[in-house]
Amino acid sequence: MGNDATRGCVIVARKNKGPVTRIDAMSYSLNIDATDRTTLNALLDQLRDMLMHDSSSDIARRLFPAAYHQDEQHEQEYQRLMRDELLSSRLASLSLTSSLLEREPSGDKVVLSADELDALMRSINSLRLVLGTLLDVDEDEFEAQLLDVDEDEFEAHLDENDPGYGQYQLYSYLGWLLDWIVTVQTEFN
Amino acid sequence: MEVVDPGTDSAPDTDRPWIVLVWNDPINLMSYVTLVLQKLFGYSLEKATELMLDVHNKGRAVVSSGTREHAEFDVYRLHEHGLWATMQREDA
Repeated sequence: MGNDATRGCVIVARKNKGPVTRIDAMSYSLNIDATDRTTLNALLDQLRDMLMHDSSSDIARRLFPAAYHQDEQHEQEYQRLMRDELLSSRLASLSLTSSLLEREPSGDKVVLSADELDALMRSINSLRLVLGTLLDVDEDEFEAQLLDVDEDEFEAHLDENDPGYGQYQLYSYLGWLLDWIVTVQTEFN
Repeated sequence: MEVVDPGTDSAPDTDRPWIVLVWNDPINLMSYVTLVLQKLFGYSLEKATELMLDVHNKGRAVVSSGTREHAEFDVYRLHEHGLWATMQREDA
């Protein structure tokens, strides 16, 4: 995935508190603006294309990991039976996520069901897996920064002269959004 | 007629349950892993957090066990959610 679509959306979205909020037990509100929704949809299109045409890269291995890491024969049988099912599940999740991102908002908000929020969560996580694999991220470097410092401090950690600056920003944005999606599902449990 | 003594030292290979392991990876958020374990297996927040911390600190954790078919189903659901999961016979 390239970094050309990242810079416009990232700073704006990171300044907004609460990109996802809970309306009631069955529904949630997605509060990111139209530019961010469009950007996310473009990234999902790229991910969909990658899923359908890439079966051998490090990214494909991360999205379709081995089940039997100690048993080649069982592994081949498992992949023969389950890989297409996993692909279909991922594509269905992406399709549902794309449709909700294209939905006409009510005010600035898009109302989501619990199932739609789950699809959004899995799709955002898939994007993070792809980007994190591409960037070969180190968990101590990113997760600690994301969760333990505030947004302004986090921005200061990123080097604008780094060729991967845009991708790192996007990666941090996706982590920020995903963490909110998780939090909104757990804070009332 | 020759009678084969099956022995009692160890259970037959086919009787040993399968375990499902989640492995540490540098990308998945700790909060996300905890939520997925709660959602898929019905674990309490405390149990899911304990397992997540085992994954994070020890490199892996056993999150479920049972028949081969059940383990395959659990691995599939974990893969659906982007977790790095594998299965093997217990004590393999």
